[in-house]
Formats: sequence, C-alpha cells, structure tokens
Amino acid sequence: MMTEPTSIPVTMPIDIVVVDDHAIFRSGLKADLDARMRVVGEAATVEEAIRVIHEHTPPVVLLDVHLPGGRGGGGAEVVAGCADLQGITRFLALSVSDSAEDVVSVIRAGARGYVTKTVSGAEISDAVVRVAGGDAAFSPRLAGFVLDAFGTAAVAAADEELDKLSARELEVMRLIARGYSYKEVARELFISIKTVETHVSAVLRKLQLSSRHELTRWAVDRRIL
Amino acid sequence: MREPLVRSDARVIAGVCSGLARHLGISAAACRLGMTALALAGGAGVLLYVWLWLLVPTADEYARSRAGGPQAPAVRALRRAPGPPAGTRQPMLRPGTREIATGAALLVAAAAVVLQMAGADVPWGTWLPLLAIAGGAGIAWMQLDEARRTDLRDRAGAAGVQGVVRLVAGLVLVVVGIFTAISGTGSVEQLWQALLASLAVLAGVLLVLAPWVLKYWRDLEAERSGRIREQERAEIAAHLHDSVLQTLALIQNRAGSEQDVTRLARAQERQLRQWLYRDARSEHGNLVDRIREAAAVVEDAYGHPVEVVAVGDTAVTERHEALVQATREAVQNAAKHAGSPVSVYVEVTGTRSEVFIRDRGPGFELQDVPADRLGVRESLVGRMERHGGSARIRNTGNGTEVQLSLDHVEEGNG
Repeated sequence: MMTEPTSIPVTMPIDIVVVDDHAIFRSGLKADLDARMRVVGEAATVEEAIRVIHEHTPPVVLLDVHLPGGRGGGGAEVVAGCADLQGITRFLALSVSDSAEDVVSVIRAGARGYVTKTVSGAEISDAVVRVAGGDAAFSPRLAGFVLDAFGTAAVAAADEELDKLSARELEVMRLIARGYSYKEVARELFISIKTVETHVSAVLRKLQLSSRHELTRWAVDRRIL
Repeated sequence: MREPLVRSDARVIAGVCSGLARHLGISAAACRLGMTALALAGGAGVLLYVWLWLLVPTADEYARSRAGGPQAPAVRALRRAPGPPAGTRQPMLRPGTREIATGAALLVAAAAVVLQMAGADVPWGTWLPLLAIAGGAGIAWMQLDEARRTDLRDRAGAAGVQGVVRLVAGLVLVVVGIFTAISGTGSVEQLWQALLASLAVLAGVLLVLAPWVLKYWRDLEAERSGRIREQERAEIAAHLHDSVLQTLALIQNRAGSEQDVTRLARAQERQLRQWLYRDARSEHGNLVDRIREAAAVVEDAYGHPVEVVAVGDTAVTERHEALVQATREAVQNAAKHAGSPVSVYVEVTGTRSEVFIRDRGPGFELQDVPADRLGVRESLVGRMERHGGSARIRNTGNGTEVQLSLDHVEEGNG
C-alpha cells in the first residue's frame, strides 16, 4: 500500500483503461492525455469495466464514479470487482460530482486518487503518472473532503493512528486544499516531494482504513442530505 | 386444440353453460338442457352450476392472467385487492386459495349433514345465519372483478369519494329514520333491541362495502402520487429548458470564442449544481454560500475559473460580512491581474474563519504597491483590521496568496 520508489521509465508509455459511460467524454479524454500514456481499453458499464480490466490488467484505470450496470454501485463496485488485481492495477477516480459521498465511497473502495473532470489534460496526465508510481493523487476538493471528515483540529499522537491526521498531514492537506501542487507544498514546508507523497499516501490509507465513527457518521450524514 | 374453460360473455345467468359448451365442443343449448336435467335430478345441476361459477374465470380474467397482465407491474400491484379478489383475478396462476376454501366449506357442510343423520343435534339455527353472512360477504368480495365493478359503479352513477360519501349518508339517513319511527311508537326495550339489530345490519353492510372503500382509497392514492410525479417531472423539464438548453444554444452560437464558451459552460455548471444540491447546501450555515456567490460573480465577469473548497461553515454576522467583502475584493484582484484560475479555500473552525485566495499570476508585494493606490491596502487590510481580523498578502514564488482570517469573539455567534 505504501509508496514504493518505482520510477516509471519515460520511454515506456503507461497502459491505461478509461471507464466512463459517456463516449464523448472518453474520446475527449483520450485526445487530451499526453504521450506518457496509452489508452489500451475502454468500458462504459460496471460489467464491461471489470471484464476489460481483467483482460488488459493495466497499471492505471481512469474510473468514473457514476457508472450504469452492476448492482448500482458505480465506480466503487468496479474497484471491488477487481480486488484480485490489487498491487497490479491502480484506480484514479474521475467525477463531475460535487458530493462528498460519491468520491469518498470510491476512495474507501480502494481508488488511489480523485480528480474532477473539469481539470486540464495535463493535470490528469500528471495524476495518472503519480498513481502509476504508487502515489496518491489528491485534488483540492478531495483534500477539502478529508479535512471535513477528519476535522481540522484532530491531531494524531502517533502516525499509525488511523482515526486522526498527524500535524504534518494536516498541513499538507490544507495546502493542497488551498490549490498548491505537490511541488509547491514541498517548497512551502521545506521538505522533499517524496515526503509530500508519503504524507498524502498515509492520509489516503487513513481515509480508506479508518473506522472512526465520526467518519462513518459524517458519511451517513452526507448521504442523508 | 381445445378451447380454454372460461365463462363466456354470451350468458343467460353467468356464462357457465356457454363457456362449458365451447370448451367441450358441443352446442350451448345442449349444455343448458343437460344442466337443467341434472338440476331436476335432486338439485345436482344447481350445485354443479354454482361450483363452476365459483371456480371458472371469465374470459377477461383468463386473458389477463395468461398475459401476465398488460398493465405495468406497479399498476397491477396497486389494483390487487387483498384476500379472495386476488384469487378471483388470477385463478390460473394461483389455483390454491379459492379451491381450498370452497372444498373446506363443502367438507364442513357434509360433516354437519352426516352428524345429523347419525343422530347428533346440529344447531342449524345458529349456523345457518352465520353461513349466510359469510356467503354474502364472500360474494361481495368476489364481485370485485373488473367488469362488474365498472358496471355497478356506472349504474350507481358514483365515482370516487363522492359515491362513498353519498352511500354512507344514505345509510345514516335510513337508520335515523327507522329509529325515529320506532322511538315514536315502541317501548325502551324495543328501542334497545332495534338499536342492536341496526348495529348488526350496519356491521354487515360495512363488511360488504369494505372492499369498495378500500378500492376507492387505493385509486385515490395512486392518482395523487401520479400527479406529484407528473409535477416533479414538469418542474425538471422546465428547469432544463430554461437553463441548460438555452445555454447549449448560446454555446453553439459562440463556438468561435473559447473564452465565451468556457464562461457560459462554467456559469451553467454552477447553476445546475446549485439547483441539484440546493437542499444539501441550505442545511449548513451560509458563509460558504456567500463566498461561493461572490466567486461566481467574479468568474462570470472575468472568465477565469474560481474554484471554492470549503471546510466547515457558519452563519454570517456583521463581521463575517466584512470577510465576504474582502474575499470578493481579493478574488477580483486575482482574476483581474493574474489572469489565471483562482483557488479559494475557506476553513471555519469553532474559533476562527480563514479564507485563502490563491492565483498563479506574476504576483506583487504589498510594499511595492504605491501608497496612493488604496485598493488593496484599504479594501483588504484596512477592512479586515477594522473588524478585528487580519489580511496577509504574500508572493508564493508562483503567484500570489491572500490570507484573510477572523477570530470569532466570545459572543460572536461562532
């Protein structure tokens, strides 16, 4: 789960599968992605996605949160359906949705990051490379959700404490929510980019594994609204 | 192939004979003659006729049960009355209920007859009225097959609630009339007995009417929920038409100008989001809403996306009003001078509200701003300080970030 320093050779394009039920969006995205990646498969429904992903076993899947088919679970169901590919295939969630529960549910299912569909192709490409390297891709909005869920004042005594963020993790999340890139966060806090990525991965792990009841209640509250 | 055994529409009594004749491939007249002959033979024909009447479905019912119902499942579920009518409606699918009930009744009757023949004293005086009531109620419930219900309703000239109300009013009038008549002539004891009898009759009538009342109630419910759905659909259609379709048309017209297209798309997206999630938003306080509004205005005016991320929320006091104004000013500066997307981060905790406005423009330092240019100094720093807050402007090396913070005071409705 944690960051492994596997650097992807620049010469080898990253194989990715794009899962989205809108054909227009898929073709637009394919055109926007840069040369560091190659789209090897596409899918529009939950069943199709699980089949195509097992067929290609790509290192990265770009996954829409809202998908038709399956049992109605959308992107989270695809991640769950590909649990046997853990460690081989990583998921980057894409969404137009503003609602926290959509995003958090797919992250809790195991996705390594979340970007909004309105960001530029270059930003999505960066996020793909980051996820392919085993890191987490956080957008300002996801950082906002994390701060909302864990609270801005909760500070863990030990880094291993799943229900709270450490002081450093809080700082990193705040800067990302303020619109800082990983590089800018590193410069701001006088740490290396690698350290930033480690903090972000740790936060992602906490978001995925925490069973803290405030988090559950927060999610339930959001769902009710 | 043999015709299915159904009660025919070409009927004298209940269409049993003509249906049976079609099923057996003989003439209806011959069948009726045979039935009459059997009836003369100790009433066996009558029994057979009644038995077939009970168990054989009408042509309509048969067709419906075979087709699995032409109506939508929801409609069918709504129409399905509880108890015996369901058996009447779909006898071919669910043959059990009615046959078992009929069989049990016949067995009980046979047992009673055998007992009496064996010399036991069967209290017919008690049982016959009870049987009559049960039979009457049963017949009433069975009447609920569609053709007859429509028939009866048409004949009564009643539909929906009005019919029921009229029926109940009539009954009440009749009972009151009888009471008045009796109380005028009879003794108190007689009155008491009459009251008891009337109540019994009323209870009987209610028992018989229950299925209709239930049915009318359901129809009413179905109609009401249908109307609500229709209203919702119309509201959504109207909204999509007024906003989304109009914007799409505008975008097609302005396809040449990238900035116009972006601006229109962003504005429409914002509007649609607000519409979709408006209830969720109004649950929280409203500082965040105000800041989003301010950001939207700037976004529309300058065409650069302004992304607002918020954690926590609070009600807007007079001091928060200053914070909103300062935020608006800062976002506007960023959009005007930086010419880049603007990130706004709002964090509200129990003790303070903070807003960060960040752009990726060339940046400026506060000390570089000439003293006569009061814009930034006055509208940001001065405004915040007057309200007990603070404003900090700094160059991040890759754009400018404005930090506005406001401590909540003790009585300040945090």
